Amino acid sequence: MPSIVELKEVSKSFGGVAALRGVNFEVRPGEVHALLGENGAGKSTLIRIMSGALPPDAGEVYVSGERVRLGSPRDARARGIATVYQELLLFPDLTVAENIFLGNAPRKRFLALDWSAMRARARTLLDSLESRELDVDARLGDLSVANRQRVEIAKALSQEPRVLIMDEPTASLAEADVQRLMAVVRMLRDRGVAIVYVSHKLPEIFALADRVTVLRDGALIGTRAAKEVDEQGLISMMVGRSIDQLFPKEAAPLGEPLLEVEDLRYRHVVNGVSFSVRAGEILGIAGLVGSGRTETALTIFGITPATGGRIKVNGKPVIIDSPRRARDLGIAYVPEDRGLQGLIRVQTIRENVSLAILDRLSRLSVVNRKDELRRADEAITRFGIRARGPEMLVRQLSGGNQQKVVLGKWLGAEPRILIMDEPTRGIDVGAKSEVHALMSRLAQQGLAIVMISSELPEVLGMSDRVLVMSRGQVVASFDRAAATPDAVGAAMTHAGQERGAV
Amino acid sequence: MEAIAAPPLGARRLRRLAAAYGQELVVLGALVVLMVGVGLYNPRFLSDTSLTSVFSGNAYIAVAAIGMSMVIITGNIDVSVGALIGVLGTIAGTLAVNGAPTWVSWGTPLLVGMAVNAVIGLLVAYARIPAIVVTLGMLSILRGGLISATGGKWISGLPSAFRLAQERFFGVPSGVFIAAILTVIAALWMRYSSTGRAIYAVGGNAEAARAAGVRTQGMLVLVFALHGFFAGIAAVLFATQLQVIQSTVPPNLEMSIITASVIGGVSILGGTGTVIGSTLAALLFSAIASALIFVNISAYWLRAVLGLLILGTVLADMARRRRKGRIQ
Amino acid sequence: MSVAGSAEGRPAAGRRLSPRSLLRHESVLLVLVVITLAMLAHQSDRFFTTDNLLNQGRLMAEVGFASLTMTFVIITGGIDLSVGSILGLGAIMLGVFWKNVGLPLPVAMVLAVAVGGVCGLVNGLIITRFRVPPLIATLATLSLYRGLAEGISESRSVRGYPEWFFRLGQGDVFGVPTQVWILVLAAIFGALVLSRTTFGRATYALGANETAARFSGVAVDRTKLLIYTASGLAASLASVIFVSRVSTTRSDMGTGLELDAITAVVLGGTSIFGGRGTIAGTVLGLVLIQALRNGLALSGVKGDGTIMVIGAVLILAILVSNMLGRDGDG
Repeated sequence: MPSIVELKEVSKSFGGVAALRGVNFEVRPGEVHALLGENGAGKSTLIRIMSGALPPDAGEVYVSGERVRLGSPRDARARGIATVYQELLLFPDLTVAENIFLGNAPRKRFLALDWSAMRARARTLLDSLESRELDVDARLGDLSVANRQRVEIAKALSQEPRVLIMDEPTASLAEADVQRLMAVVRMLRDRGVAIVYVSHKLPEIFALADRVTVLRDGALIGTRAAKEVDEQGLISMMVGRSIDQLFPKEAAPLGEPLLEVEDLRYRHVVNGVSFSVRAGEILGIAGLVGSGRTETALTIFGITPATGGRIKVNGKPVIIDSPRRARDLGIAYVPEDRGLQGLIRVQTIRENVSLAILDRLSRLSVVNRKDELRRADEAITRFGIRARGPEMLVRQLSGGNQQKVVLGKWLGAEPRILIMDEPTRGIDVGAKSEVHALMSRLAQQGLAIVMISSELPEVLGMSDRVLVMSRGQVVASFDRAAATPDAVGAAMTHAGQERGAV
Repeated sequence: MEAIAAPPLGARRLRRLAAAYGQELVVLGALVVLMVGVGLYNPRFLSDTSLTSVFSGNAYIAVAAIGMSMVIITGNIDVSVGALIGVLGTIAGTLAVNGAPTWVSWGTPLLVGMAVNAVIGLLVAYARIPAIVVTLGMLSILRGGLISATGGKWISGLPSAFRLAQERFFGVPSGVFIAAILTVIAALWMRYSSTGRAIYAVGGNAEAARAAGVRTQGMLVLVFALHGFFAGIAAVLFATQLQVIQSTVPPNLEMSIITASVIGGVSILGGTGTVIGSTLAALLFSAIASALIFVNISAYWLRAVLGLLILGTVLADMARRRRKGRIQ
Repeated sequence: MSVAGSAEGRPAAGRRLSPRSLLRHESVLLVLVVITLAMLAHQSDRFFTTDNLLNQGRLMAEVGFASLTMTFVIITGGIDLSVGSILGLGAIMLGVFWKNVGLPLPVAMVLAVAVGGVCGLVNGLIITRFRVPPLIATLATLSLYRGLAEGISESRSVRGYPEWFFRLGQGDVFGVPTQVWILVLAAIFGALVLSRTTFGRATYALGANETAARFSGVAVDRTKLLIYTASGLAASLASVIFVSRVSTTRSDMGTGLELDAITAVVLGGTSIFGGRGTIAGTVLGLVLIQALRNGLALSGVKGDGTIMVIGAVLILAILVSNMLGRDGDG
């Protein structure tokens, strides 16, 4: 069968980092084509190019065999390509019907909306999605996430697309809702819609997909018929390099426990977490997004002060009610969202590196510029930050070098406990192994490191111990020797199923 | 299809109404409580003449607040509207005194208002200068222009046909009548037209609005121009209240208008609110002002009372928002 | 994406200037100031006389104090619309403490300034504790503080201050008006705090990215609280000088002062989105405004026509600086 959308040799890079390198991809009417890859593999970039949100740097896009330029989402939609985004681009204050038809509402004369036609068509669309109980006049903000997603799908379907792109549609759904969603996807496929389905949940992919395409580090690894591959095969395609090829943690003598948390709680997102980390140890925390990993880190770091439980630093019980307090106790946190939480992108390397230690660099609160500049120079040399100099603006750096600035800032504070949240997300392979080598060195110097990561190979390669979290609790714990991909993966999946079932 | 949507329980519908119009209901409630309370204390407060003077004197603020609400819903602000109303009122009066037909004297301010504010809209949308900066500059230009053009002289000798605000339509003071009609039209338009919905979309989530095919920049220019149109109507009402037109407007008029919008439930963060709320808030202000007189509180404390009221409303709004955020 | 702030302004916010182009904005402004001064001097012989210039300094002092602290406020990404009202309230309280309560005038002066500090502190608390956007919070207190001034004074003015008090607003020290000395000292102090101290760093950091600043251990709320309090103090200090300059106390003093101060700050290159700006820029902005106002008046432009020019200069300056910034950053 001929393809309806085809990408040929498409490339795209951001600020010098290649996100896609010469990728081919096509999807045919009446098939579910799954797009698979780790975080940062290039899935999002690929679908954004397909949906007209990003222009490719190189390569060609064909729709129904005709070469096209998709300049905007509007263009793509006019050619029958609709997208259901992960972050649900909806308006909470509008009703369901209004959200579905925003931008292409049925009209009467004089630009007036045909209100009753709009509600009627919204009703029909939702009924066709087996969502008869959903009220078209309800305010979107009052709906559950699953229902909002149905609205987003109805919005995409309102334009009768020939291609429907779904970006991690089940990321925030409970299991029952996942089943309903999969039923909808099958129904659409049977109607002849071509579906591009992005996910990294393998069971879903085996249940739904006709074909699977795997991306890794921006490159196409391969496209296979779903029947021809098994779980193991897909994982090795996604992960590629075996765990040994990653920079492994070198052995370091373990010292006293530096950080101990006991029954830690924050509202309903951290539900009684207990663990301890010793000097020289790297503790990996695995789990799905929303499992409470990051929330636990934020609670320890004082961003969201604990509502229950105990924290001990160096064996002494402490109360951490602000990041300042955490910093003064020798805790550093390298956050998940570099641009938002880690860096002041419009400021220079010098200003960023000194931000957490200004008190130490100043006398009578006057900042010592010379000292500051020396520190920035040191950080550039020590972490191999590729920059013109300490006065370069941070936002002009690549992702990997930005991450090194964040590390430089926090290691300048000379912490004993380092919490790293997705330490290598969105940075290229070379920088990744540099960050891993650095972590290894820091552990040898006696730091206690807590590493949160979605990348299983990273967790397995770097950690002395691995915790698996789900629903705000630790559900499994492995020593280095016992932490095999199968065992940890099973704990994550099992926890995920349990999570859906409850 | 009606059969499906029809039987929502009364309670559910009420809750939805309360969620969608929470702030409007609060303001309405405050207005009713005030009227009843002061009416009991001093029944003369509810007499026809006092009610008339209560509401017609502030009608122009309600009208101007309609446009301001639209601007704020898009996530922008306009601090120059007070000066604009002064300029437009003077234009209307000058035309009237010099023998222009009444419809010309009334119509010109509307067009000039649209033109001036369209320029603001262009600067905000295309030159990407923050609205507060553009309108601060415009405030100086208009205020300075007004005083240097009039030299501070009052315009008198207005023809009687010109005095719109002193008319009565169906027994209702024209200002109140016009404010009510415009509020209803604007509310329906914002609620039910595609352009109206797009205004909310631009303010709520500009990125998503653009992804949905809304022309966000054009929408901003349109909203500012409409705001100028309403300022024109407000100016005509303001200018025709008295036998003369002063060359100044009440100080901080723009703040009163912004406050009416915000107290009426328009979020300064953009994306939510209705013009019904802002009109009710303008009514509430004038009711409070005259209520103070009727309960023998010195008028000197009026602004302090208003200020406290504004602060209370804002804090309550933030608390409500935070509670909502916690539930989700 | 955040819904805060102007939806359309966001892209511009992301396009902040580098330090080099920031200097460029101030250079543009400096050139503009020099050209304006030269033109005005050419137009009227009375402009470039010592007496006139010193007198202009006297006139710009009140707005000047408010602008210095407003620079800090706007760099944090906030705004303070209540400074004009605080000035009014401060003036009234000075009269009340001295005449009605019967305190010695120096004590009354200190208390009046303290009242302004309390007003600013209240602004800061509303903004940091209740997370009310600064525009709304200070819009509300603009009405409240002015209302208190009107209510307390019942629009009666207080006169008859002793002769020594006028030295502050009408007198000279070494031939230069007293308040100009104070303003210059305050400006130098403000510039040093902003550019050299940890407090200044915290101000820039939280204005550019409040989340990252918080995550880096910056005391975000405390910094904001101090800045809004300082803003109130500056306004009430201006009120004492104002009363001394015009020999009387009225509740409508300082109406519109907030807009003049914001104009000076924004004209001086401080980004209304926060994270960027300098005291030097603000001072240049102040000088430009006052020079235009005075010079045009001397050249025969009718009094209030000069305000028009200031408005136009504000819009043009930001337009040009925006365009330069866009080219430079690419």
